[in-house]
Amino acid sequence: MFLHIIAVLIFTKGFLLTRTELPHSSHCSDLSQSPCHSSSYCWTKPVVDRLIIIVLDALRFDFVAPSSFFEQKQPWMDRLKVLHRMTLVNPSSAKIFKAIADPPTTSLQRLKGLTTGALPTFIDVGNSFGAPAIVEDNFIKQLIQNGKRVVVMGDDTWTQLFPNNFNKSYPYPSFNVKDLNTVDNGCIEHLLPSLHQQDWDVLIAHFLGMDHAGHIYGVDSTPMIEKLEQYNAVLEKVIEEIQNQSGPGKLHENSLLLVMGDHGQTLNGDHGGGSPEEVETSIFAMSFKNLPTLPSEFVSSSCEPSKNICISSIHQLDFAVTVSSLLGVPFPFGSIGRVNPELYALAVGTWKLDDNKTWNNQDELKLEEWLQNYVNVICINSWQVKRYVDVYSASSVIGFSSEDLFHISDLYAKAKENQLNLSFDKNESSNTSLPVLKRQIVAYFEFLSYVAELARSKWTEFDLKLMVTGIGIMLFSIYCHILAIRKLNKSYVVSLPLSRDSGISFGLMLASFTVLMRASSLLSNSYILKEGKVANFLLATTCIVTLRFSFMMNKLLLEAIIFLLLIFICRIAIEIGLYKQAATSQFMSASSSWVLGISLSESMWIYIVEIVSILALIILGYFLYNAISSYCRGIAKCAMMGTILSYLLIALYWISESNILDLPHFLKGMGKTYIPRTIYSIGLGQILLMTFVPLFSKEEASSYKGSLYVKMISILSTCSSTIIILQGKQGAFVALGFLLAGYCMMKLQGIEQHSVGGAAKITILDPLPILQWSLLAVCLFFATGHWCAFDGLRYGAAFIGFDEFVLVPQAILLTIDTFGFSHIFSVFGLPLFVQMEHNSLLSINLFWIFMVYGLITATTATATIVCVAIQRRHLMVWGLFAPKFVFDVVGLILTDLLIFVASIYYF
Amino acid sequence: MKEELEKITPSKISSFQVFLIHVCCGLALAVGFWVAHNVYSINLIFDPTGTLRLIWAIEFPVVILLFSCFRQKPEKCSYLKAIARGLLGLPVGALINALGALALGAPAGLQYFERTVSWSLLMSSLTFVPTACVYGSCWTDWHRIFACTKPKGSLDFMLCLPAHGAVIGAWFGAWPMPLDWERPWQDWPICVSYGAMAGYVAGMVGSLGLALMHTGGKQLKAE
Repeated sequence: MFLHIIAVLIFTKGFLLTRTELPHSSHCSDLSQSPCHSSSYCWTKPVVDRLIIIVLDALRFDFVAPSSFFEQKQPWMDRLKVLHRMTLVNPSSAKIFKAIADPPTTSLQRLKGLTTGALPTFIDVGNSFGAPAIVEDNFIKQLIQNGKRVVVMGDDTWTQLFPNNFNKSYPYPSFNVKDLNTVDNGCIEHLLPSLHQQDWDVLIAHFLGMDHAGHIYGVDSTPMIEKLEQYNAVLEKVIEEIQNQSGPGKLHENSLLLVMGDHGQTLNGDHGGGSPEEVETSIFAMSFKNLPTLPSEFVSSSCEPSKNICISSIHQLDFAVTVSSLLGVPFPFGSIGRVNPELYALAVGTWKLDDNKTWNNQDELKLEEWLQNYVNVICINSWQVKRYVDVYSASSVIGFSSEDLFHISDLYAKAKENQLNLSFDKNESSNTSLPVLKRQIVAYFEFLSYVAELARSKWTEFDLKLMVTGIGIMLFSIYCHILAIRKLNKSYVVSLPLSRDSGISFGLMLASFTVLMRASSLLSNSYILKEGKVANFLLATTCIVTLRFSFMMNKLLLEAIIFLLLIFICRIAIEIGLYKQAATSQFMSASSSWVLGISLSESMWIYIVEIVSILALIILGYFLYNAISSYCRGIAKCAMMGTILSYLLIALYWISESNILDLPHFLKGMGKTYIPRTIYSIGLGQILLMTFVPLFSKEEASSYKGSLYVKMISILSTCSSTIIILQGKQGAFVALGFLLAGYCMMKLQGIEQHSVGGAAKITILDPLPILQWSLLAVCLFFATGHWCAFDGLRYGAAFIGFDEFVLVPQAILLTIDTFGFSHIFSVFGLPLFVQMEHNSLLSINLFWIFMVYGLITATTATATIVCVAIQRRHLMVWGLFAPKFVFDVVGLILTDLLIFVASIYYF
Repeated sequence: MKEELEKITPSKISSFQVFLIHVCCGLALAVGFWVAHNVYSINLIFDPTGTLRLIWAIEFPVVILLFSCFRQKPEKCSYLKAIARGLLGLPVGALINALGALALGAPAGLQYFERTVSWSLLMSSLTFVPTACVYGSCWTDWHRIFACTKPKGSLDFMLCLPAHGAVIGAWFGAWPMPLDWERPWQDWPICVSYGAMAGYVAGMVGSLGLALMHTGGKQLKAE
């Protein structure tokens, strides 16, 4: 078990990408160290006075680009018409860019990337909830340092990322995905009045509605199109407003408007991975001046000649540095982007628009001047990147390799040399020729793009050594596991009165075959997606085999058939679960299942479901009562009475939640918070009772097996009440099914031995029922509506009994909900399979069962790890394999822990 | 000794007969495909229901007619009765196959109903019908062949191996289904049918081989 943890830790370290964040930041005075032509300004000459950034979350590229760029016109295209119109009317001052983001494409990561100009890391994705403040140097921080006033409105991630940085902020919570309008309406409410005010230099408005609409309804849906139209109207107003004020001397004389997305989304509205749909977003930039056009060398456009709209592409990395240069603030320290010539040109062109009317004669000179300026900017840019690389490789543990560093310095030296020549030339004659400037720019570009490329490959590179070590330790732990099991087996066989040569039984073969099948199925993304079905398939297969044995023996047919039926029901439940997953997942097309035939909105169905679930609960309680009256005495009895009480409370809770009875409102409110809390506390009390009481009073059990069962039943009942209330209505059914399945398996397990051995006394330890048990656990995980993705967590469960968000208890509740049936229940339920009556043998048997169960879990987890390692370049590695990896690893550690606890409890 | 053995397995069957039957069954499958392709110009991928129905319709009379010849206790049970048993066995076997498939995760929607029915009828004619024709409703024989897998004699092999082959083939055939290749043949029950038929053919080859060995062994023993 400890081996597992170590292995997992090492592998995780290798697998999850890491990049050291440097606390340094740039200052105005740093510039004197650079070889570039320094001016009286801070770093660059500010060319834009005011900047309006409108962030539309999850803005797909095809939302913005004209539909003529694509093969087919889809209903969601061409909805932001105002942007098209602007680009058509004055192509030199308004432009649409295709912005390419770096995965992972979650909002937090993108905002970080946009402001710091650095590459994101996977660790951050995990942090996505807490939204820790950015410690690295970033563009907002630079703005503040240089006395710019920033106003932000919309998504509250901004205020979490940059606490206390803004002059004014109007944050709105981004947590509630179902709420399409709060954030947007808040933005709109504040955006237009703010345009008239003078107390800001940079305005950021972050609209979230599109992201939420995508998450819930998908791209091709009416809410999405409504959102787009709404944005169109808003943008139209904004542009009109700014244009009215853009005259000389007015408020927006020198303003730049940026409308941008932080990332794209798939057609199902999801994002996070690295597929083109998610990565490609858009930036629309518009300055309110007339500008000259750029020399064509630096234009990376793909034009649509018929419509006369050109679209260039830009990396999101470049955003921070470009905007910084426009505003004249120092570039963020850790940025590795380059100043994008086109975006820069949009605004910068204005600096020499003097009142000179002889445009044609001056054209060349202007261009040259512009280029000169740009060379200067990009020189500073290169110097800054070089400095970052130097500092980074000096301070970081995992730096760049020396060859790469050498190459970087080489490129930089070349570019710098040119620069010196250039400035020398410039002193000689003011008439520098254009080609020299252009060559210079190209040299810097080469350097910058090389660094960006290198950084991208370095920081998205996995640490193979650590990964291999992790896998090796994992395999070694499995090997140890197997050895231990064999040893146990041997001692077991030896201690048997009638020791018999136990060859490789059919059950063992089948079990290992099934485990292998399952392990190898994890290699493919589609099997991971349908893991529930695969597990169910294998479970049903083993079940059919057992059924065959029971046919062979002509007994216990009923149990086998019931079991098969249960599996069938479980399978339907899984399908419903998968259907739910399909609705939100990015990888599955939502297949209209027959489930839809029953519209759940009908009130009658709701009533039936409620009544039946309460009935199931009552049946459970009845079973428990039976168990109490037949077996238990003393403490166990107390514990179980507690459980029955909490069952009653759960029933009450459900009734109060539903609308069958018209309870007064006050009572409802009471019920909503206090009943669950009472149940939790009862459960906790029961656990404490059962942990401590045996320590003080050692009662002599009549038969060890009997006491074991009593213990098991009591702990299961203890856990069950909490889990059931967390799972909601389905919990009772599942618990009932679990009970029944356990019973069937217990009955069935001996069959094979009986048939093979003939004598009932001899029982070889058989891994098959344990395998079935673990498969059943996996099935239940999926049947209760979970799946291996972060959005598969049922956040609703965390809020049962609590209204406000408190991290620790809610995290515990969420864990219990997620792993309740599949891990907690199943590990504690394992003693069902103990067969022996004899005392010492029994403990060996029990221990053996735990070991085998642990082995099965460990094998699956190892398979996941190996598959993740193999597929680390897979397209869906972040979307699918990484969550699966996290879930499996957490499950494995939890299982180990639970096995540990359970073995302490049972021995 | 030898006579006793032969009394226990009364309807002795020569390896040539085994060969003949298997060739006929295999041919029936092939003919089914051929007819589907050339006469009706449908195939399994685009019209699974129709094709399966066709194959099944061609296969099962052949199977019934052939295996009824080897019915157990021919003195008590006429040829016609054996055929009737086979006809009766067809839906029963189909039901069992369909239930098994549903438990294993076959789509249960109504739009798949027709396909499931055709598929299970085909499966039934591959697995269930021959045994029904030969043994009727004799529980012990069924038990011996399917539960204990203790076939004796080449007739039992002939029943048991192809049936198991078909089931196992179908089981393996289900594996490509969830893959995201988005090929038309990944739909239920196309690849399962292919798997079943491949398994069936493999089973036939196996039983043929065993029958040859069996007779060879016998001859050796006799010598």
